[in-house]
Amino acid sequence: MTPTILRRPLLSIVSAALVLASVLATHPGVASAADTPRRGGVLLAVIGADPPSLDAHQESTFANVELVAPLYSTLLQLDPYHYPKIIGDLATEWKIASDGLTYTFKLHQGVKFHDGSPLTSADVKASYDKIIFPPHGVLSIRKNAYTAVTAVEAPDPATVIFKLKFPSASLLSNLASPWNVIYPKKYLDQDPNYFKTHAIGSGPFKFKNYTRGSTFEGERNPDYFVKDRPYLDGYKFFISPETSVRAAAIRSGRAYIEFRHLPAAEVDAIKKQLGDKVTVQETPMTGQWGIAVNNTVKPFTDVRVRKALSLGIDRYTMGKVLYPLTGLKNVGGLIRPDSEWGMPQAELAKLPGFWHDAEKSRAEAKKLLAEAGYPNGFKVTLKNRNVKLPYQDFAVFLIQEWRKIGIEAENRPLETAAWFNDGQNTGNFELIVAPTVEFMDDPDQFLGRYATGSTQNWGRFSDPQIDDLFSRQARSLDPVERKKLINQLEKVVLENAYFMPGLWWTRNLVHWTKVKNYLAPPNHYTNQKLQDVWLAED
Amino acid sequence: MATNLELTRPVVIADLAPRPSRLATIGAFIRTKPLGAAGALIILAMLAAAVFAGVLAPYDPYHGDYAAQFARPSAEHWFGTDEFGRDVLTRILYGAQIALFVGFTASLAGCTIGGLLGVVSAYTGGKVDLLLERLMDVLLAFPQLILALAVASILGPAVQNVVIAVAIPIIPRAARVVRATALSVKEHVYVEAVSALGATHRRVVLQHILPNVAAPYIIMVTAQLGSAILAEAALSYLGLGAAEPTPSWGLMLSGSAAAYAEKAPWIALFPGIAISLAVFGFNLFGDSLRDALDPKLRGR
Amino acid sequence: MRLYVTKRLLLIVPTLLGVAALVFFIMRVIPGDVTLLILGGDQAGRIDPAQIAAMKHQLGLDQPLLVQFASWLWGVLRFDFGTSLWTGQPVIQELLIRLPLSLELALLASLVSVVIAIPLGMLAAVRQDSWVDYVVRIVSIGGLAIPSFWVGILCILLLVIYFGWGPPLEFTPPWVDPWANFQQMVWPVVTVGYRYAAVTTRMTRSTVLEVLREDYIRTAFAKGLREGVVVVRHALKNAMLPVITLIGTEFAFLIGGLVVTETVFTLNGVGRFVVDAVAHRDYPVVQALVFLIAFSFVIVNLLVDLTYAWFDPRIRYR
Repeated sequence: MTPTILRRPLLSIVSAALVLASVLATHPGVASAADTPRRGGVLLAVIGADPPSLDAHQESTFANVELVAPLYSTLLQLDPYHYPKIIGDLATEWKIASDGLTYTFKLHQGVKFHDGSPLTSADVKASYDKIIFPPHGVLSIRKNAYTAVTAVEAPDPATVIFKLKFPSASLLSNLASPWNVIYPKKYLDQDPNYFKTHAIGSGPFKFKNYTRGSTFEGERNPDYFVKDRPYLDGYKFFISPETSVRAAAIRSGRAYIEFRHLPAAEVDAIKKQLGDKVTVQETPMTGQWGIAVNNTVKPFTDVRVRKALSLGIDRYTMGKVLYPLTGLKNVGGLIRPDSEWGMPQAELAKLPGFWHDAEKSRAEAKKLLAEAGYPNGFKVTLKNRNVKLPYQDFAVFLIQEWRKIGIEAENRPLETAAWFNDGQNTGNFELIVAPTVEFMDDPDQFLGRYATGSTQNWGRFSDPQIDDLFSRQARSLDPVERKKLINQLEKVVLENAYFMPGLWWTRNLVHWTKVKNYLAPPNHYTNQKLQDVWLAED
Repeated sequence: MATNLELTRPVVIADLAPRPSRLATIGAFIRTKPLGAAGALIILAMLAAAVFAGVLAPYDPYHGDYAAQFARPSAEHWFGTDEFGRDVLTRILYGAQIALFVGFTASLAGCTIGGLLGVVSAYTGGKVDLLLERLMDVLLAFPQLILALAVASILGPAVQNVVIAVAIPIIPRAARVVRATALSVKEHVYVEAVSALGATHRRVVLQHILPNVAAPYIIMVTAQLGSAILAEAALSYLGLGAAEPTPSWGLMLSGSAAAYAEKAPWIALFPGIAISLAVFGFNLFGDSLRDALDPKLRGR
Repeated sequence: MRLYVTKRLLLIVPTLLGVAALVFFIMRVIPGDVTLLILGGDQAGRIDPAQIAAMKHQLGLDQPLLVQFASWLWGVLRFDFGTSLWTGQPVIQELLIRLPLSLELALLASLVSVVIAIPLGMLAAVRQDSWVDYVVRIVSIGGLAIPSFWVGILCILLLVIYFGWGPPLEFTPPWVDPWANFQQMVWPVVTVGYRYAAVTTRMTRSTVLEVLREDYIRTAFAKGLREGVVVVRHALKNAMLPVITLIGTEFAFLIGGLVVTETVFTLNGVGRFVVDAVAHRDYPVVQALVFLIAFSFVIVNLLVDLTYAWFDPRIRYR
């Protein structure tokens, strides 16, 4: 748990370089070990939306983190080349007490903010206080991941201590969140919302310019605490909501990279036109699209009806049909199938809705519906978000499937605010499309929503078995035992069809091959600092 | 003393020639206005497609053949299939239903309500006229699409709501035109004469004003039909119109047009052609109709 | 004349008030709570009702509607359109960033269309029912019929597929870099201008047709004047008045065209700004933009009416 290789900056650079070299030599689509990084050039990227504000603590959209991550440092980070390993960013080493209730971090020396002032533990404490104990009127989206933390202390300028009231298996993962950027305390003291409209951090790039709806620019930070980084002179994002315009921008070379996802059809066309000049990195994504069922409303109070709905979806065919159109591909439960916590496919195939025999599933579904009193099916409204990708395509497939068991579903797209309001706040729906996307495969983040009373529990169901399993896995420090508990939790949810997972996302990240050293992580939130990226040519 | 004249037959101004038979009129129309006739033909074809879609369409518009996603046009699928394996020809035929439904309903509703308001405004005069005129001015100040956008956002994406959203901007425009015509009729000498002879308000309106307003009304309905169809397409494109999986032409063009244009250009091509053809037909027909009905423009 | 002008100026006041009221109350009726959208984000965590209440208070949304309306109006009179609920920036600032692009698009499209449309419309009218007339009518109706968003995106696609060329992604004003500006604007201008031209051509054609039927034109022909002279010196002047009216009224149509075109080409202009703001329930922005659009439309109409009255004395005495 104590990464000794990061005890000293120089040593860490050397070892990082060695790691880098070995990874570069083996990973396709990244520079071979013979290429030396070139200094210079501005990375041109396209992005599909504007963030509501620049404060990463208060936002959860990729539009925020992609733009501002290069400007900041975090305490810990996910290793860009070895997901899901956690390494330090500002932290050089850390110790966890044997009772799991105290975490002590040591910070880099000599780190400076972009305005020249030094970064000390006071800034780390102030930033984390804002995240864990937000002042009145300030939003902290991820506050509830830190319920175990009682206090953050900064006994000396190079040490930060987290004190907990119960052991938390996920604390380190949460601290590695790309959203937990470290702000200078003095601006937070003036106005906790200062960073909604300003960007002063300690990251590899400095904020240069932001024109809403148009561009976001950053320039190289010559005083960055990691020597000889970043390689780029700057980066520039073009904001362009239409997917096809972004794809056209990549094709014509107006932009070199799109960090989120392009649909397979666009990717094929780009590859066909540009051949080796582009690289496509296909990565599984820590996100899934599912359907939340309102467990408090008839006929969904009846477990047979819920099960029938889930049985009616042929998920394996869905993956094949929807993958070329969206990124939805992999069949899985509540935790990503290929992650360390995912349920093995053989076990999953025994649960209702995941049988390989679609005809058998549909027959069973019709039988259950008849038993529950709906031999001829019924009409239902599927509320949805009014965004094309992948919400509408997802709905089209579902509707078609459910027709086969006699259920007439009507797709009702709503504006994001209304959809979210109906789903989360008021529960005003029968069925509603509900995605779950997090920055890593952390079980707390993915499974918290199935516990009683969680505000993310859109289906409003309550099962004490689930609650018990969840709190036990959250405190379980043994990964083997934890996985067992997690899989059990999944089984309870899926057998009772409290919630219906759909498919997990696989994304295609497209970039010009001249963009070197960028390894796509399994989501578009992490590895956005761009500190190791370089351009082979302008 | 035969002063108790009752003008029973409404007199259409400037029409003093003997009226020919219906068939002869149509024949003359086709001969003199071939463009209009072409437009009429297109409209009839669309109507046929819409009414007989159930019979003509080879497949179910909602059914997707997963083995045949993005299939090229062939004997089985004349217009190919879309991203879900749904037959494009079938969806175009059913799409005609939606386009015509929205077009007719919105246009008729808008023009009728607007027309009534215009007649009332013109005939009543005074304060009512002033108030209605101001109201119409306010509505007219909004560009059609922006108003439709706002209304559609309130009501949510659904075909019925698109009808309302598209009809509302038509009301003030229709009101204005009808009001102008009704005013000019009202001030015409013979109407004064009829009133002086004791005709009731109802008689004056029904027998004299309305028939003269009929021509501009019909012209407007056909003119607005085309733009109503386009407005529905635009709203669906912006995500405010019909929702998936409804086979609306505008919806078929949103997103898919560009995303799959290289892989399967027929997905975007046919709905675009369908919309263009429909609007084209209505406008051609409407134009020629106006040329024929408007006394000022008839012949040289 | 002065009386007419004064009368018209007075009349627009209630109209503008009506517009302001309509805009204001429409936004309040749209479902979807903007505070939730601001606090909620994409797919987010828990929301504390106390925080919602606090945000509502901060944004002034907990006051009675009429009070909100009155304070907004007061702000408008001082050119203060409030702050965007979504970004926290002053609306006027956000607007000014996007205005140059939309203005340029509107102006160029109008210019292109007028230059093309008026001569074509005249030609078609003078040669009514000939093949020239037919061609012009077909082409102009075609322009009206084809959905601009379809044409626009296919334009870009064809260019990308066959030439590997894409338009620049950010707006550079023409005085900074005319070539970059041209590259970005040429296709949107063509798309919007074509439709505008189509409408103007048709209107020109029908007004010229009407004028050509007038007695005084027949007299001019009877006098033996050549067709060219008759058309240009006599018909055109009188036909221009309705066309000027049309240019004014179709300005609104142009705004509609901007909305769709800017969405298709993802230009950072006022049109797209409206669509995004409606999606975000960003009341201040939508109110400000729609009000300004309606306002400019009313003013344009006023100017057109005044021009009309100047040239046609009969109007003034109504």
